[in-house]
Amino acid sequence: MIPERFGYVAPTDLAGCVAALAEGGRVLAGGTWVLPEMGRGESAPAQLVDLRRAGLGGVTATGGGLRIGAMCTYAELLDSDAVAAHAPLLRTMADQITGGWALRNQATVGGSAVAARPQSDVPAALVASAAVARIAGPAGERELPVAELFAGAMRSALGPGEVLAGFDVPSAAGTGHGYVKLKRGWSSWPIATAAALVRLDAAGACTAATLVLGAVSAVPVPVDLSALTGQVLDTDAVRAAADTAAAAVVQPWGDVLAPPSYRAAVAGPVARRALSAALSSALSDAREESR
Amino acid sequence: MTALAPGRLTGTPVRRHDGDTFVTGRAGYTADVPRPGAAHAALVRSPHAHARIGAIDTAAARAMPGVLAVVTGDDLVAHCTEIPHGLDAGHLGGHHAAVRPLATGTVRYAGEPVAAVVATTPADAAAAAARVEISWERLPVVLDAGSALLPGSPLLYPEWGDNVIIEREVGPDDFGAASAGAAHLLDGELRTHRGTAAPMETRSYLADWDPGTERLTVHATTQNPHVLRTLLATTLRMPEEQVRVIAPKLGGSFGLKMYGNREDFIVPLLARLLGRPVRWVEERAATMLAGTREQVLRYRVAFDADGRLRALDVHAISDHGAAAPTHGWGMAHVGALSTGLGYVLPSCHVRYTVVATNKAPWVGTKPFGKDGATLLLERVMDRIAGVLGLDPATVRRRNFVPPDAFPWLHTSGLELDSGDYATALDLTLRRLDLPAVRAEQEAARGAGRLLGVGLAFELMPESADIPGAMVAAYDTSTVRMSPTGRVTVLTGVTSPGTGNDTSIAQLVADELGVPMASITVVQGDTDLCPYGFGNISSRSIITGGNAAVLAARDVAATLRATARAMLQLQPEDELVLAGGLIAPATDPERAVPVEAVAGAVHTLSYRLALDVEPRLESTRTYRPGNVRQQPDELGRMQTYTTYPYAVHASVLEVDPETGGVSLLRHVVTHDCGTVVNPLFVDGQVTGGVAMGIGAALGEELVFDADGTPLTTAFKTYLLPRAIDLPPVELEHLCTPAPGTPLGAKGVGESGFSGAQAAVVNAVNDALAPRGVALESTPVSPPRILAALLEQP
Amino acid sequence: MTGDGGRVELRLTVDGQERVAAVDPRSLLLDALREDFGATAPKAGCRTGDCGACTVRVEGAIAKSCLRLAVAEDGSDVRTIASMADGDRLTPLQQAFWDLNAFQCGFCLSGMLLAGEDLLDRIPSPTDAQIREAISGNLCRCTGYDSIVAAIRSCARPAAPS
Repeated sequence: MIPERFGYVAPTDLAGCVAALAEGGRVLAGGTWVLPEMGRGESAPAQLVDLRRAGLGGVTATGGGLRIGAMCTYAELLDSDAVAAHAPLLRTMADQITGGWALRNQATVGGSAVAARPQSDVPAALVASAAVARIAGPAGERELPVAELFAGAMRSALGPGEVLAGFDVPSAAGTGHGYVKLKRGWSSWPIATAAALVRLDAAGACTAATLVLGAVSAVPVPVDLSALTGQVLDTDAVRAAADTAAAAVVQPWGDVLAPPSYRAAVAGPVARRALSAALSSALSDAREESR
Repeated sequence: MTALAPGRLTGTPVRRHDGDTFVTGRAGYTADVPRPGAAHAALVRSPHAHARIGAIDTAAARAMPGVLAVVTGDDLVAHCTEIPHGLDAGHLGGHHAAVRPLATGTVRYAGEPVAAVVATTPADAAAAAARVEISWERLPVVLDAGSALLPGSPLLYPEWGDNVIIEREVGPDDFGAASAGAAHLLDGELRTHRGTAAPMETRSYLADWDPGTERLTVHATTQNPHVLRTLLATTLRMPEEQVRVIAPKLGGSFGLKMYGNREDFIVPLLARLLGRPVRWVEERAATMLAGTREQVLRYRVAFDADGRLRALDVHAISDHGAAAPTHGWGMAHVGALSTGLGYVLPSCHVRYTVVATNKAPWVGTKPFGKDGATLLLERVMDRIAGVLGLDPATVRRRNFVPPDAFPWLHTSGLELDSGDYATALDLTLRRLDLPAVRAEQEAARGAGRLLGVGLAFELMPESADIPGAMVAAYDTSTVRMSPTGRVTVLTGVTSPGTGNDTSIAQLVADELGVPMASITVVQGDTDLCPYGFGNISSRSIITGGNAAVLAARDVAATLRATARAMLQLQPEDELVLAGGLIAPATDPERAVPVEAVAGAVHTLSYRLALDVEPRLESTRTYRPGNVRQQPDELGRMQTYTTYPYAVHASVLEVDPETGGVSLLRHVVTHDCGTVVNPLFVDGQVTGGVAMGIGAALGEELVFDADGTPLTTAFKTYLLPRAIDLPPVELEHLCTPAPGTPLGAKGVGESGFSGAQAAVVNAVNDALAPRGVALESTPVSPPRILAALLEQP
Repeated sequence: MTGDGGRVELRLTVDGQERVAAVDPRSLLLDALREDFGATAPKAGCRTGDCGACTVRVEGAIAKSCLRLAVAEDGSDVRTIASMADGDRLTPLQQAFWDLNAFQCGFCLSGMLLAGEDLLDRIPSPTDAQIREAISGNLCRCTGYDSIVAAIRSCARPAAPS
């Protein structure tokens, strides 16, 4: 039950969505956040532009990675062999989405990204995956490194009339990944997340390491791990990297479930666990290969 | 006590008699009751926690599509009285507050209803409600009991002169004398947090005013349809028989849907004013306004060198929120009555102060204040164990009221009837395998892991009869058999979703020797059922069940007399009612079907020259015999009729880096006397445990500095989910309630208190190696981690 | 002015029956099912997608009907727990919920039954942990979940011998 009246259109292609949005209104993706908000009267758009018929669903393998449609659901991520092969981090992230399969069947990666809620799984995982957002708008299409999509808490960088079409994600095949989420039970949204990718060379030395913290700040916090390059990652190295991560949280997020001080305190341990998991995953990948 | 014969239904896991209607989605709840043409109400609620209501401009709302009426608090004054109080503090030495269905003059909590809109659809009603414009004069807020008690605090009710709803004492105030010579003295302060009942179904009403007959029919999510009818008749100034209250299937309640909520009156008033049916379904955020718990418990305890309690002195300060006509403040009273119950405690004195603050009021919530008392004593037991270097189980065992000491008069006046607490403790420890768990804990500690074990004993006084309250410890059932042998049970007790109707059918089936399938139980309709108090204080089986047993025995007596006449037997010849047959005990071959006998009662009374009234119907009231409301020399009364108890053990691990808690095991030994249906008893206890764990770890109502509720949905008020919980390991013990037909004790509030306390104790046990103690709830990750980081 | 203006025609197959109703375009699928199609098995528990009491199947997939706009589902096949059973013959899962007392108030049943059925479709022999996870998008305030887990477990196909 939504109190305020609104128009509803479901264009059948992206251009139609952009054209419809030119008339004003709000984009409807999975609806899991927008519809309850409208039900509470917190949002009253003149019209909803539903992306469901615009062909923006699903995941496809491209030459160097994946193309993920804005309407791709968590269930589609989990069902996709291409995601398992090229973006196992996103798969692990999706596997930890709460709300049950009914929610996974409906909530979308694009919707979650555009909602830009600090306490959600998607933003940090996309940033760690080096995803590029594909955006369509009145001035045509543009691409944006996904880190720049998160302009602030609950604020995306989409301009007026722009629609998120989806993401291009480079393949992370052969890279170890770790995703750790801290929450207050399964009713809770994320309190702190860490998404980590580690690539090792044949000698076991780190050739690239990525770590992005989520839910601990208004926007995802990328951690500079260039110091790890060339190192063999032992416990001390991982611990030092986690300290770097904790120090990167300069303006910790706070909400009703956890104050900023708590998020600041857990950022380090969560980062360490994700990095450790990524390292283990990279080492086991290496063992698989050497077999 | 009547022994339960083998081969009977009572005591067996009979499934819900109407379970098929539930699993196929056909069970009808209040919001499912069809009523074409019903209008829909929406409430305008105060955005401020304390403010004077200025001008209310309804013009914009009235101009909205579909709007039928916009009604303010002032509009309703002429049409109803203030809401009668379920337990009026003003009559018991405290303050009375006049509360009307819609606020007039001043609002005292954010969310207080101030106006109502009626429209043809729920969406139009809500859209119009958002356009009612109110000019507010904001007043200073006071949001915690401690501040509210300070001199100079803002006053919610200036005419009171302070913010104290009521302050009373329970037990003799003799701590000084009683503690003289005790080996040890401890003092402490325990703080509990605000929670809410959060049933899955929100409140809902469908009120139907028939202008022709001037009759009001109200379908309501209520635990107490008859009491609500009385209150509606009083408030709306109607003859009581002109009001019919029907309680359809209830989607859980846990106390939330007791009588006296403002919406109980708002929706019927709107229907009467408009002369047409009006429906209202509460939004989840409003359901979450209702508060419970949030106490500061300051205590002193004296004990001997062996850990035996000498004296306990408690000041319980309760943050009630704004005053309310519901009897929620009674939770502070019952908490005081229950403090120390089940332990040999020569002196126990509790002063309780119920404080008004600018939050939505307390609503009576399972387990009705006894949870605070449990937590207090169980923390005390563990602290004593810590001081003396004793095992926590040993301290409890030394203090339990022993099984040969019943009836046991507690200092509060409550008189325990029966129990075997030490055996329950033993069963719990055996199931737990405590030595193995302790060994595992030692190993974990060696590895820097924080594993904890917590024990808790809960004792729940049930089936209350508090003088002056609108509900009682007795209730009434009618048993009626038709000429075809079909049985209808009409009872004054209702089911909040527990399934007590099936249990009552089991009891009646056994008394009449008929199958479950021939029995229908009718509950929750004031036009059909005998006057009763509905569902409260875990008393439905004790009262409605025992009453139904008594009534069924009357019907059985008439059946026997008639069968004797039909079979030309002598008065002393025994007859057995079983399997739908009535047979001479000595000659089963001559059995007659029960429907033949029922038919004979109805048609052959003269022919058979029956010497009993030819009526297969009886209405009986079961009133437990052990309530005593004539105060003794200390002013004490025995106001509860049964005393179920349980011993819990919780095993968990705390993550030292995040404060996260992983529950590993939860063991409970429970004793509610004779079990009528183990399926339902296990379900009650397990559900109570889950709720208690939720309260201990995470469920908390939080407000901002202005008093605006921040926890308005299940995303922030964190109910436990299946994956958060370990399976509950249940053990049973049975000490039947003496002097009762069934021997059953209440079970509806069991599980919560002990689970909450066991988890708090286990967290503290886990943290012990780090020198940290948490004496406040919830023991949530942020609080645990803060404590760990603050350690010296 | 009435609130009934602006209704739109919505075509749904509800529990196997093709039907048309005039619905308020502001309706959520849950509202339309309950108010306009008379399908009251799904319940409104929270309207935020957290409790799962409104769960139905849309085009075969389980969905929280409070998170869907009715008009967006035009032409869809919607099934509630009212059409799980084959006439009077309950499914084994419904039977198990009844026999094992896997509900008390019953308000959560649409979600619990459908989440359970969905799990058994995907994983015929789930572990208890998988069962608990599968129903963790749904809230129950009465049972403590153990009886629900037991009921779903009782319908698991025995694991194939390895």
